[in-house]
Amino acid sequence: MTESASKDKSKQLDEGLERGMAALTEAKIEKAINRVLTGETGARLKAYVETCIHCGLCSEACHYFLSHDRDPRYSPVGKVKQTLWEMLKKRGRVSPEFIKQARLISSTQCNLCKRCAMYCPFGIDVAYLMLVVRRICHLLGVTPRYIQDTAHSHSVNMNQMWVKEDEWIDTLQWQEDEARGDLPNLRIPLEKEGAEIMYSVIGPEPKFQAQLIYQAAVIMNVAGLDWTMPATPGWDNSDMAMFTGDNELMGRLKRVHFETAMRLKVKKIVMGECGHAFRSVYDVGNRWLGWRMPPIPIVHAIDFYYDLLKTGRLKVAKKFEEPVTLHDPCNVVRGGGLADKARYVVNALCENFIEMHPNREHNICCCAGGGVINAGPPYKMVRIEGNRVKAEQLFAVKAKGATVLITPCHNCHSGLEDINHHYHIGFEIKFLGDILYEVIEKPAG
Amino acid sequence: MHDLYAFVRGPLAWAAFGVFIGGSLYRLLHLLMLVHRKEKFIYSYMSWKYSLRSILHWMTPFAAVNMRMNRVLTVVTFAFHLGLILTPVLLLSHVLLWEESWGLSWWTLPDGVADVMTVIVIAGCGYFLVRRLAQPEVRYVTSASDYVILAIAAAPFVTGFLAYHQWFAYEILFILHILSGEIMLAAIPFTRLSHMLFAPFTRAYMGSEFGGVRHARDW
Amino acid sequence: MKRWALAPVLALASLWLWAPGFSQEDMTAVDASPFERPQRAPALFKHDAHNEKAGIDACNECHHVHRDGKKVEDESSEGERCADCHGRMTQGRVPSLTIAFHTNCKGCHLEQQKGPVMCGQCHVWRPIKAGAAAE
Repeated sequence: MTESASKDKSKQLDEGLERGMAALTEAKIEKAINRVLTGETGARLKAYVETCIHCGLCSEACHYFLSHDRDPRYSPVGKVKQTLWEMLKKRGRVSPEFIKQARLISSTQCNLCKRCAMYCPFGIDVAYLMLVVRRICHLLGVTPRYIQDTAHSHSVNMNQMWVKEDEWIDTLQWQEDEARGDLPNLRIPLEKEGAEIMYSVIGPEPKFQAQLIYQAAVIMNVAGLDWTMPATPGWDNSDMAMFTGDNELMGRLKRVHFETAMRLKVKKIVMGECGHAFRSVYDVGNRWLGWRMPPIPIVHAIDFYYDLLKTGRLKVAKKFEEPVTLHDPCNVVRGGGLADKARYVVNALCENFIEMHPNREHNICCCAGGGVINAGPPYKMVRIEGNRVKAEQLFAVKAKGATVLITPCHNCHSGLEDINHHYHIGFEIKFLGDILYEVIEKPAG
Repeated sequence: MHDLYAFVRGPLAWAAFGVFIGGSLYRLLHLLMLVHRKEKFIYSYMSWKYSLRSILHWMTPFAAVNMRMNRVLTVVTFAFHLGLILTPVLLLSHVLLWEESWGLSWWTLPDGVADVMTVIVIAGCGYFLVRRLAQPEVRYVTSASDYVILAIAAAPFVTGFLAYHQWFAYEILFILHILSGEIMLAAIPFTRLSHMLFAPFTRAYMGSEFGGVRHARDW
Repeated sequence: MKRWALAPVLALASLWLWAPGFSQEDMTAVDASPFERPQRAPALFKHDAHNEKAGIDACNECHHVHRDGKKVEDESSEGERCADCHGRMTQGRVPSLTIAFHTNCKGCHLEQQKGPVMCGQCHVWRPIKAGAAAE
């Protein structure tokens, strides 16, 4: 029997796992596993499992592995061994306790960052394999309570944070009011049919980061763009269902999101600085709905800012002076190729940019993504201890003089805050939008 | 001995090549059919350009970051795989057998070079074995089958080396050499030696996803 | 190493070098001189002993003459060198010297189920030790 390293680490009980596990029977487990392994999956799973030569070369890619002093249980292939290999070998006849461990491993010890896919000589996608495990656990109802709660919110409200329709509209109007302090004629146009841009955000923005909507509104207005935000569900681009394994719910979410943009007859969706949402609308959710690429162009904030700066629609009044460094989020850099554009934006906005190493596609994950931070407080230390190497990487770039850490992704932001705080690194962490808002030329208010 | 020779050189060789070729085709077709039946979307992401870009990068020594992080392993693994494939294909005695049976012949390696390559392959197997035992993250994911396939790959080279130098019992080694080569051929489609068949496809798929969708490098 | 110890080695080497010049009774190996860079030791072959043991009387059993793709029954070629017909490469229906030797020796051995058929049974690196195999 394989024993997961998480067993001794997370002493806090997770009700979602405990209660889910209590309701399991061996027959249920076998049925769900075989449904996924023989029904839902196909050539990829087969090729990945049968091609893997057990060389362990993926280990070098994984921040959990590196942070746990090269404990083999944390290597990507080690996690596959503890989960999928057992399920395949035993043809689904595993215990409820095993399912709980499989959930912990796949959902709290892997960020689906896909760095390992770049280190495997065969390009085996361990993140995909972990998603298969997550899918099985979802079908069995064994899901960390916190992230399941956000998924429930998605299901009920089509947003992640239990934001009611009136609260959403209210928040936008409130931010419009606030931002008029900056620009007296500022508008956050709601439901403007035929606008060029639909601006979309994640649930947490209206919930507790409303200033990001404020900043975005200022940027849109200064640049003089034809934009709108929907007043109906469908405004939230986030997707926790993608991470719990609830593909059906993911499909519902993305459908509402895309249909909202269609209803508004916009030309493109511009999204805030979020990584996982980009993955959901650009790579994963659209596929579930049968779209090879998103049915409507998706422009991530990095790309959007790049375009505004490059074309001169936004001008920098005075560059940001403090030395900055940039953390490349996996979902938009390894997942969307925005490394160069991010650097263009950073250099356009800041006087002094210092690269951290490794960077770009090879950057080390924040350890919050892939739904790990959304699994909630019980796993906070799992994330922090599982990413000591990130702290080391940040200390190294701090030693070169950087004092501000930019990362254009919500999950990275929150995850890096925890690491920054726990290891006493002392960075100030910012979104690109924070700096952009600060340095652009604004008409006198 | 004549009967045994005739058997391993005749019917068994036919069987081994039959299983190797037929089995490989079966495995590949089965995989493609599985794609066709359940993951058709894969076709729409496959790109020749990005497939080849990825495959070429991973076929070039030190072209990938991970290869530079594991320099010794990179040298060993490239030398090993080159030797593993080229030595038997370009060996004079093997080509002579093809010519005697089929009238086909092609350029061959000087025996001295082939001998060195054989030693490299055997040493490579030794390195992989030690690595498997000594490196915790490799040992952790090692199963009995890993040792078996290593032995399957090593056996034709060990016996071939001994037979070539005519050390120990020549005739027995000669027969064992042919036999182990046939076992290896037949084992390729049905063990994880099949990475020889599948690796280009997994690599191509990941290359296409990284190049075409993710706009990122995968090396 | 004392000088006299080299003597048998030299003797052996000279035996090999001169082997083609010797009469058939003294022959111990197939004439490998047409091969520019032989990869293997010359095939051990004691002409008279072999033929006596194999019961071969007709010279053209081995020293054949082919015309229009057919073996000419009443002609033989023992006066010529094999390499006179068989070149380095197979040409048309005339097999290369290597293949001709292999077919001639091994082909018969396989038919008769007698005599050496594995590479190293004829191409012996250390003929003194393993010489018996060739007989």
